Amino acid sequence: MASLPAFREPRQHLGEKLAALHWPIVALLLLVGAIGYLLLYSAAGGSHAPWAWRHGVRLGVGLGIMLAIAMVDPRVWYRLAYPAYATTLALLVAVELIGAFGKGAQRWLDLGVIQLQPSELMKLALLLALARYFHGLHLDQIKRPLFLVPPVALILVPVLLVLLQPDLGTAVMLAAGGGILLFMAGVRLWKFALAGAAVGLAAPVLWSRLHDYQRQRVFTFLDPESDPLGAGYHIIQSKIALGSGGLWGRGFLHGSQAQLSFLPEKQTDFAFTMLAEETGFAGAALVLVLLLALVLLGVVVAIRAASPFGRLVAIGVTANFALYVVINVAMVTGLIPVVGVPLPLISYGGTAMLTVLIGFGLLLGTDLHRDRTLGRFPGDP
Amino acid sequence: MTGLGMPIARPVSPALVVGRRRIRVVAACFAIAFVSIAARLVDMTMQRPSEPRVAGGEPVPANAPDPRRADIVDRNGELLATNMRVPSIYADPAQIHDIDRAADELAAVLSGVAADELKRRLRAAKRFAWVKQESTAAEQAAVLRLGIPGVGFRSTEKRVYPRGRLAAHAVGFVDIDNQGLAGLEHAAQAVLVGGAPSGKAPLVTSLDLRVQQVVREELLRAHERFHTKGAVGIVLDRETGELLSLVSLPDFDPNQARRASADSRKNRATGQTYELGSVFKVLSTAMALDSGKVALRDGFDATEPLRIGRHVIRDDHAKKRTLSVPEIFMYSSNIGTAKMVFAAGGGEALRGFFERAGMLTKPVLELPELAKPQLPKRWVDITTATVAFGHGMAVTPLQFVDAVAALAGDGTRVPPTLLRRAPDEVPPRQRVIEARTAEDMRWLMWLTVEKGTGTQVRDTGYLVGGKTGTADKFNPNGRGYLRGAVIASFVAVFPLEAPRYVVLVMLDEPRGDAGSRGLRYGGWTAAPVVREIISRIGPVLGVPPSSALARAEFEDRLLTAQRGQPGRRKEAWVAAVVARD
Repeated sequence: MASLPAFREPRQHLGEKLAALHWPIVALLLLVGAIGYLLLYSAAGGSHAPWAWRHGVRLGVGLGIMLAIAMVDPRVWYRLAYPAYATTLALLVAVELIGAFGKGAQRWLDLGVIQLQPSELMKLALLLALARYFHGLHLDQIKRPLFLVPPVALILVPVLLVLLQPDLGTAVMLAAGGGILLFMAGVRLWKFALAGAAVGLAAPVLWSRLHDYQRQRVFTFLDPESDPLGAGYHIIQSKIALGSGGLWGRGFLHGSQAQLSFLPEKQTDFAFTMLAEETGFAGAALVLVLLLALVLLGVVVAIRAASPFGRLVAIGVTANFALYVVINVAMVTGLIPVVGVPLPLISYGGTAMLTVLIGFGLLLGTDLHRDRTLGRFPGDP
Repeated sequence: MTGLGMPIARPVSPALVVGRRRIRVVAACFAIAFVSIAARLVDMTMQRPSEPRVAGGEPVPANAPDPRRADIVDRNGELLATNMRVPSIYADPAQIHDIDRAADELAAVLSGVAADELKRRLRAAKRFAWVKQESTAAEQAAVLRLGIPGVGFRSTEKRVYPRGRLAAHAVGFVDIDNQGLAGLEHAAQAVLVGGAPSGKAPLVTSLDLRVQQVVREELLRAHERFHTKGAVGIVLDRETGELLSLVSLPDFDPNQARRASADSRKNRATGQTYELGSVFKVLSTAMALDSGKVALRDGFDATEPLRIGRHVIRDDHAKKRTLSVPEIFMYSSNIGTAKMVFAAGGGEALRGFFERAGMLTKPVLELPELAKPQLPKRWVDITTATVAFGHGMAVTPLQFVDAVAALAGDGTRVPPTLLRRAPDEVPPRQRVIEARTAEDMRWLMWLTVEKGTGTQVRDTGYLVGGKTGTADKFNPNGRGYLRGAVIASFVAVFPLEAPRYVVLVMLDEPRGDAGSRGLRYGGWTAAPVVREIISRIGPVLGVPPSSALARAEFEDRLLTAQRGQPGRRKEAWVAAVVARD
């Protein structure tokens, strides 16, 4: 940092930085996480084991990591964007290779101490890489098709790798996240229409070339009733649970569907169902409002950010978060097929919570340093 | 460029303007998405189950008793599920003078009601509190004798299952609001509550409680004796497709389904897939014979383990010589079966055959608990070989029984059902293999029971054909298979002279004991259960014992096969031409 005098800005002390932090966002995250804790406590029949206390520990550690990341100048992340992308891509390939030897869908990389899900980390790495790429471009450059080749490749390579795992849900999430970022960067709308049309035209050709077992997998995705684990049955139970919740719910620790274990995956993907059963529409709506508030605050941060990099990172994190919420709730209410997307901060699960909190760390960092790249400081161009 | 290499954007670039406009567009999209899922949530949480209507009448008020669900009965009219009006006891605390005394007296005559807890509830309520829901007539009488003013009764419908655990998985159960949650209660919900509230015709199932009773009893004995994790017993009438018995252990009492563990509620017969192991050779052998490329007299070299790429396929009881098709089947040779399937067209042929037998799709039955088969991703050589002897492809026990029903009869199948079928309601039969092949299969299955791995099933009084299976269990928490954990199974068809009933017994992780010579093999654990079941249900179903004449026909074919192989090698009889060839 000291190599050029241009950036010898007055250093903010840690205390100053902490004071300037966007505390409403931190408070909201903590609140939603705490609701998740209570819900998992109830899911275990009124017990801290096996889920609630771990959720709490992860929340604490995750918030700590988030605050640490927020303190770091975004320019560090800017510089690390491409290496981070390359590393995560390598991890994805590694998982693919190990999976090939292990003869089965492998999404986890077992590092002994921790288990990593590179496809989850890829969501952040892709975000940083795309944000960095578009930061350096002018709008008139973005308009030229040739400049779109690198970012589209940045998106497609990991999407294809994740598809091979095979994990259609995560692949779609990655593609959607990348697509939103392209849109944010100012790529013209007709290009999206063109891409959509291309996919539409290629689909029948691709479909005819698929193996039977691959088609079967798509069918299973579209028609969960045919899932071997009976995802259709899950949805039935989920709907019964939602219906029995009513306006005020059956009471904390009193949801019969969830408490009697009729509801599967109540601690992970179907946590929201349990919430709606025990606290009714009122409780579920409250949590939705809290989550929406987080999304809107994230949008405000993005709008306030002066640098394109910060703006894109902030909106990318926010969009990913919103996608999680919308897809999860649409899934448990039976609007879309069961795709296995957790509800951020509430569902039990380590990697997803860490990804969300790291993402918010970047967002808070963007907010904290939102003015820095405007060249306000002495010596800046 | 800065020290960190981050170019600085111009203060108000057009890109920024476009960017901020688009952020607002996306934010609006998300707001709309949130609103629509919230609307959906209103829809889901506020919905009341539509008000039940009396036929042609006014809507029944919500606090009226539930409309009667139709009874569920077995094929002979025995009650499996019915309704009982039971009194529920409530109190109006405002009318009770001495709440403490009343609560003490009530608690003394009502089981499951604690005085302290009742006092608390009576004090908390203003004009209405439940004292006990779903009480009994005797308790009602006792409460009446107490004569406490302010205590009243309401009668409520309660779903009861007089046979308890006997057919728990097939019948299913209802929730507190009498809505079907599992089994037929869920699958046939519309039928059960439809129609007029009085005089509703019962739902007649295909189950025969006498058979169900025997199967459950014998299965439970094995379940306890071998300490299995689970067990499945199925009896199918292959002529009508009716399931006479469907047992999954551990089971639960549907009268108290809420207290049952998730594991015991699992229907292992239809809702769980298993790699069944060697019993699958019934299917692969039938496919090979039916292809026309493999004949009974053909021999396959099983001297050496079969190498496919990096994999080696071995036999459990290696004979280390060339085996004929009947030998391969009755000694359950993996090497021979794999080679036979390759000779008959390999993976494509096997896959096509499974398709005809309906084993590639989710089974069809009147239950919500149905599991789709787990199929190999690619039908490459190694997979084809392992599937031929029942590994690498997992199906529900129901589906397997359905397929065997076709192969062991005249080569045709009828879709199975849990509801009774009148003779004219039996759907048209679909051909799976040629009648001639099916005849060969019956003989092979008879050989297995008479001379092969299934000798435990010999003495039932009936001509029985069957096949044993002992499959290593896949390790769900890692790679490969669990050491020592097996799925032991036996599938049988009887009476062979006019094949009608298919019986499957499957034991999940049996532990061998002295009686089975410490062995876990299907021939020693599952086969004795099948023997007991057949010798007990045969008379109940009115099957006459097999005649000596019928027996002689099977023996004859064996003798003819043995002829022409004099002395050369004791065991080599089957390596030669079989009777008809």
